[in-house]
Amino acid sequence: MKSKVVLIGVGIVIGLAVLSGAWGIYQRGYQMHGSVINPPVRAADFSLIDQNGVPYRLSDQLGKTVLLFFGYTHCPDECPGTLAQFKQIKQQIGNKAKGVEFVMITVDPARDTAEQLRNYVPNFDPAFIGLTGSQVDLERVWQDYGVYVNPQPSDLQGNYAVEHNTRIYLIDQQGNWRVTYPYGMESSQIAEDLDHLIN
Amino acid sequence: MSQTKASTSSKYRPYLKRLAIIFAVCFVVALVFNEVAYRIQKDSNDRSPQLVQIVIPAGTAARVAAGEPVPSIPPGVSFVQGDVLEVINQDSANHQLGPLWIPAGATASLAMDQPEKLSYACSFQTSKFLDIVVRPATTFGDRISGLSISVPTLTALVFVYSLAALPLDGREKKKKDARPAVING
Repeated sequence: MKSKVVLIGVGIVIGLAVLSGAWGIYQRGYQMHGSVINPPVRAADFSLIDQNGVPYRLSDQLGKTVLLFFGYTHCPDECPGTLAQFKQIKQQIGNKAKGVEFVMITVDPARDTAEQLRNYVPNFDPAFIGLTGSQVDLERVWQDYGVYVNPQPSDLQGNYAVEHNTRIYLIDQQGNWRVTYPYGMESSQIAEDLDHLIN
Repeated sequence: MSQTKASTSSKYRPYLKRLAIIFAVCFVVALVFNEVAYRIQKDSNDRSPQLVQIVIPAGTAARVAAGEPVPSIPPGVSFVQGDVLEVINQDSANHQLGPLWIPAGATASLAMDQPEKLSYACSFQTSKFLDIVVRPATTFGDRISGLSISVPTLTALVFVYSLAALPLDGREKKKKDARPAVING
């Protein structure tokens, strides 16, 4: 009889411990990676031209999640690195990638024509979107997205680099800036966030 | 056979009893010693993780553009692993603080989840750069692991010393000697 009471007591204590642990996990919730914008803010709208010469307006993409960064096709390091990362993220989220648009906006409109983007961006993935536009239109987008663009002096062959930010912006299905990621953030962490958001 | 076993266990019982007492005493001593040493040597930046809030006041971008001084944060900010940096942008311009990009009128936060030392661009520092140091926090687990090293070592040393200073055989012998002799007849 006594041992039965002890067993029941131990059972109650273990049960309470498990419940409190589960409650703690539930309360903690999901912690997004990167820099979280809370509450989310409506992303600045823009209208540019994609690699096929078709107009692309951000506000037309409601219902889709947009992963966006600023780069250029002659970029030697971060831009191809980010596009390669996009490819990994797309693979990691599997079927959910159908609801995600992977976008690169140029910081070098002088060289990044629609044709140039068409020859570059789909090499990473045919579904990826490259956007260009007039200098004036792009300057407004750069300003709205806090992008620093600084073309460097060209060499004897006319080649030049463009200094720019390397941040990735995650825009949710409601068209809000939700999270930004500094360059170097793990693909798996961004994929986890996308997976959570799309759920 | 069972008699042999019983005699063996009774032979070791005084040692085990002494070891248990020494372990308990050493545990308390190490706990107190570690805690005192930790408090004396504690880095002033070592603390529990917390929410670190920074407010960018309205008009900051205009003041930076005009070259006027702005209420700034120290150029070298130190964080503890697990801190959450939250930046509230009350300005009408977007701002950047290292890994955080904060749209005008919004709040952005970032969990500092790994120790690192980085230098970032910052749009509202006069120097335009900001060093961020994320230090590993001394956790409860670290202190437990400190105890797990010090207690067994101290127990072993004190136990060996006690055997040399107060041999159990000697005490047993003394006890026997102290007993009054039984005289038959």
